[in-house]
Amino acid sequence: MRRQARPRPTVLIVGNPNVGKSVLFHKLTGRYVTVSNYPGTTVEVARGLMRYRGREFVIIDSPGMYSLMPITDEERVARRILLRERPALVLHVIDAKNLARMLPLTMQLVETGVPVAVVLNMMDELERAGLSIQIDTLAHQLGVPVLPTVCLSGQGVEAVKELIYERLTAACADLPTRD
Amino acid sequence: MSVSPPPAPTYPPAIEHAIAQIGELLRGDYALSSRTMALLLLQGDPEIWDEVEAQEGRGTVERIRSLKDTLEQMSETPLAWQIEQQRQQWGRQIAAQVTQATRSPRPQTLADWIGWLCMNPWTGFPILALVLYFGLYQFVGVFGAGTVVGWIEEDLFGGHINPFVENLVRSVVPWTPIQELLVGEYGVWTLGVTYAIALILPIVTFFFLVFALLEDTGYLPRLAMLIDRAFKSLGLNGRAVIPIVLGFGCDTMATVVTRVLETRRERIITTLLLTLTIPCSAQLGVVLALLSAYPLGLAIWAGVIVLVFLLAGWLAAQVLPGRATPFYMEIPPMRLPSLSNVLLKTLARLQWYFMEVLPLFLIASVLIWVGQLTGLFDLALRLLAPLTRLLNLPAEASVAFLFGFFRRDYGAAGLYDLHEKGMLSGNDMLITAVVLTLFVPCVAQFLVTIKERGWKTALGMFAIAMTVAFGVGFALSRLLSGLGVQVG
Repeated sequence: MRRQARPRPTVLIVGNPNVGKSVLFHKLTGRYVTVSNYPGTTVEVARGLMRYRGREFVIIDSPGMYSLMPITDEERVARRILLRERPALVLHVIDAKNLARMLPLTMQLVETGVPVAVVLNMMDELERAGLSIQIDTLAHQLGVPVLPTVCLSGQGVEAVKELIYERLTAACADLPTRD
Repeated sequence: MSVSPPPAPTYPPAIEHAIAQIGELLRGDYALSSRTMALLLLQGDPEIWDEVEAQEGRGTVERIRSLKDTLEQMSETPLAWQIEQQRQQWGRQIAAQVTQATRSPRPQTLADWIGWLCMNPWTGFPILALVLYFGLYQFVGVFGAGTVVGWIEEDLFGGHINPFVENLVRSVVPWTPIQELLVGEYGVWTLGVTYAIALILPIVTFFFLVFALLEDTGYLPRLAMLIDRAFKSLGLNGRAVIPIVLGFGCDTMATVVTRVLETRRERIITTLLLTLTIPCSAQLGVVLALLSAYPLGLAIWAGVIVLVFLLAGWLAAQVLPGRATPFYMEIPPMRLPSLSNVLLKTLARLQWYFMEVLPLFLIASVLIWVGQLTGLFDLALRLLAPLTRLLNLPAEASVAFLFGFFRRDYGAAGLYDLHEKGMLSGNDMLITAVVLTLFVPCVAQFLVTIKERGWKTALGMFAIAMTVAFGVGFALSRLLSGLGVQVG
């Protein structure tokens, strides 16, 4: 594989434990994945490449976190990635059924100034619980894009890829294209 | 890269001001916005403090620290907590704004159906009645408090252990007051240990067993949801169902468990309701014994207690400043409980009960001993006598009220004797049962209330319970004779 002149743009997946981060990660990256301990810790972090429309993007799946202010080792590593990798986009994966509990982290991520998009996952379970969420209003209130998904079945994942492509090619227009 | 300004959420003005001030002091190169850095500094994140110190140097860090210290001294609650509260409140607001119910959730499996039936008001309240009747009345009340206590207290302790201990003490200890302290009618052994082990222990064991079962099947959170709306008007939310249901087992323990409630206001209202209206298993035993022959009397008793419960809660919610806090609870699926888990929980609670409540019974028996030696009891009896006369009850009933405060079943036995002698009519029994229920349940609960709520509140509640108990008793007595109602 030929090295690119500059580091490929990085997308960081964050969110509470058990909201479907890893499922989304695997749907985005497919087979191009390496799992390793984050330097100096025993916490495993998965990195992978997403290929979309002839471009490559690095995707990092961070350990579960509840807040930017870390309590557990996992949270500490997740924040360290956010601090050191300087991702071009943060995908905050949310369990749609527990919106109220998830939003405080969204708020903290938005505050960091790093571009954020919300992946509203488990829409099928939300529907089964007899609830619906007004996506447009939510996106407007948060000031960031909101993408409804069912990561397990792959529903909505294409839209996530498209968003990554749009946001990151605009930000890194000078990157050489691979063939 | 253009960074859009952060959306709506702002923190309390003092914190926003500090964020701006810290932001001006930060000149280094950070991956996160200065707003985030300032917030993490205010929350006291050690890693961020190190990072800032490395980039800005000692002087700046000290200035930020003094900023933070000043802010911290000005506020009543920790900064990290305030910040977190603001975020959660904001999260709830937005979630409530964008979430809609499309339809009531459709149950899928049998367990889902049962769970749904428990929460639906039309079926939920009949199910609650069944749970109370079988779980509480039949299992805890009739079997636990009746049959099992009969074996342990009367046969085992009354027939074998207590006579032995009594003989032993009376032959070893020569001085009568000390004998009284240990094995007299209200002695440390006869009242404290016997009462706690032979009477209360079996009852609460059965109760804790039922409680753990209800908890592990997933019924309790559903009951909390069912009751939540009704509790709102009492200034409480569904969470208060836990101490209140526990109160039917032991009000003393339930008063301690009010710690699970979020605000001081909720804890006070719940403690008051426990003190005033919720009959503990020992009280229930007494009431059932008194009124078992009078079904109409039992119905009127239950009606009066429910009425006082609602009225007292509503009034307390009006008087105490503040409002009911919102209630969020994750509803776990209905499932068959694991027996070992239920037993383990029961055991853990029993252990806790022993550590916290048993000492109080020992203190109570010492208090009675002092009361009798010093003549304080006679004084209290004289003070109670006019009240019992007001209720048209014989003077002996006041002995039942006073001793009932220390040992329920003893008071009940006295009343039963009066009834046998024909000195108490069915109406009198009903009024006595109402007064006994509304009256402060027992000295152990009173002591725990002092410990949890403080002297002033505890004494206030004592006064309220006294007034309400005799006030309602008086009103009921006039009402019954005015309407010519005879329960038996």
